[in-house]
Amino acid sequence: MVNHAIILDLVERTAAVADGATVAVPLGPGDPSPLAETVAAWCARTGNELLAVRDGGAVIRRGRAPDPLVGLAPGQMPGTRLWMYTNFDCNLACDYCCARSSPQTARRALGIDRVRRLAGEAVQAGVSELLLTGGEPFLLPDLDDLVAACTNALPTTLLTNGMLFRGNRLERLRRMDRNTLVLQISLDSATPDDHDSHRGTGSWQRAVAGIRIAQDEGFRVRVAATLPAGQAHELQPFHAFLDSLGIAPADQVIRALAHRGKATAGLELAIEALIPEVTVTADGVYWHPVSADDTDQLITSEIFPLAEAIAEVRRRFSDYRARANAAAQWFPCA
Amino acid sequence: MSAPLIVGSVAYTPNVVTIWEGIRDYFAGSPAEMDFVLFSNYGRQVDALLQGTIDLAWNTNLAWVRTVAQTKGACRALAMRDTDTVFRTMFVARAGSGLGGLEDLTGRRLALGSRDSAQAAILPVHFLTRAGLTPGEVDFLRIDSDVGKHGDTGRSELDALRAVLDDRADAAAIGINTWEAIGRDELMPGALELFWESPVYSHCNFTALPALSEERATPWVEHLLGMDWDNPAHRPILEMEGLRRWVVPRLEGYASLFEAVREQQIGSRW
Repeated sequence: MVNHAIILDLVERTAAVADGATVAVPLGPGDPSPLAETVAAWCARTGNELLAVRDGGAVIRRGRAPDPLVGLAPGQMPGTRLWMYTNFDCNLACDYCCARSSPQTARRALGIDRVRRLAGEAVQAGVSELLLTGGEPFLLPDLDDLVAACTNALPTTLLTNGMLFRGNRLERLRRMDRNTLVLQISLDSATPDDHDSHRGTGSWQRAVAGIRIAQDEGFRVRVAATLPAGQAHELQPFHAFLDSLGIAPADQVIRALAHRGKATAGLELAIEALIPEVTVTADGVYWHPVSADDTDQLITSEIFPLAEAIAEVRRRFSDYRARANAAAQWFPCA
Repeated sequence: MSAPLIVGSVAYTPNVVTIWEGIRDYFAGSPAEMDFVLFSNYGRQVDALLQGTIDLAWNTNLAWVRTVAQTKGACRALAMRDTDTVFRTMFVARAGSGLGGLEDLTGRRLALGSRDSAQAAILPVHFLTRAGLTPGEVDFLRIDSDVGKHGDTGRSELDALRAVLDDRADAAAIGINTWEAIGRDELMPGALELFWESPVYSHCNFTALPALSEERATPWVEHLLGMDWDNPAHRPILEMEGLRRWVVPRLEGYASLFEAVREQQIGSRW
């Protein structure tokens, strides 16, 4: 027997609070399961939101929650940018690498067929920018084909340590489309010490040389630095150095160190608190490029169809944000 | 630029602040800007209208009838919600009660809402009289749980329904808005059923006195009627206030309440 008075209690208690506020309504006597169904049906009919049924009561939000993705900057909408890990092996073994890349790491390459299909599906899914990263992409013998598959579809950014621009690899670079490709080269400091302490002796010198080669070849170069919190005081001289290299201010990117992969310190980036950037590796689709080697942020091992993977990331992101908003509402009421 | 129109409203729900701030924002920059003042009951609000503290009162139907009486008909209604033109009182009983019409209430107990609620007390008695039932033939259980708000909180109507569910009354008279809020008889299968529905009548309106000139009132009304359900900026306010569009008043819809007030000798003041 359903406690019919629950409906009357729902009307009275939700009317007593403002739109957007939450209220707890005791379910009263009776089997909680049909009561919960009755509450859900009432909420659906009257434009209120059932947040939870627990401890013998229903938690209701008066009115409907706003779309949790409203207010997000357009570029932050999941699926606006698509990251691809072309490979995981690298000529360096940086001590904070989030992807655990090194010369000993297995390649795990996406390959031209998947990259080509991803680029095509990305256009259909509304992606506006592609980003290729690794590992070190220039280790791949067919990198120019991979890049062409992307730049033929969308504006593309290629992340590299900039250290391998010679011989055949330089020839591959020269075959890339300067109009639709940006090279993002990693450089952590204005002088060799800090950079080399994480990335290896001599790496700073070769990275700076790589920046100059890429510029001389006519490419737009963005420089991205990974900066541990303790080195914030070095920002100003670093920007001055990049200015001297002719790197535009908008192309001087400073990233915080993430406690992911090989890093032993840095920002803790739990999936619930991280705005996603859909990332595809040979192993599947991940929440964010910073966690592309961590199973806790694997969304699906099915890469295709890409649109479904993007939709799943959006759904989970909406869910996390809605829950966070609801929690923010609950605490003042407790 | 003239001073903003001051609109009075009774604070019967925490949502009124959100609603009226939204309406005020909608009028900002228009030829007829407005602000609002909230009252705790309709008596205070109508007093403030008569004293000139406010230019317009967002009145219930009983507050309108009383303002007409106190101004000897000099006040005027400017606009109402589309839902105000088709308001109804619903007579409900336990499912399977066998009640088929008002006449079946003879010798039964009818739960009524607050005594100043047009939809849940004054008009139900009027409809019973029209059905030929004489005083005393129906036993009234009066539940005055929100007097002063004219039943706007709906609390007394919910209490009337509780009385029916608890077998303290055979039937209850409630407004169509409360009937809709509980999901009619669809969310409580086997609990309640509707056995008589009143003719439509008018409910709330914006009431003005002659002191408010047409030059000031007309642009305000024109802008109000321009609120658009399909405009995402307007929609939340319309949803919270319970309408799809603002309309010109349907004054003939107040005839039954004027009659009821006269029959029941309800005073023009509080």
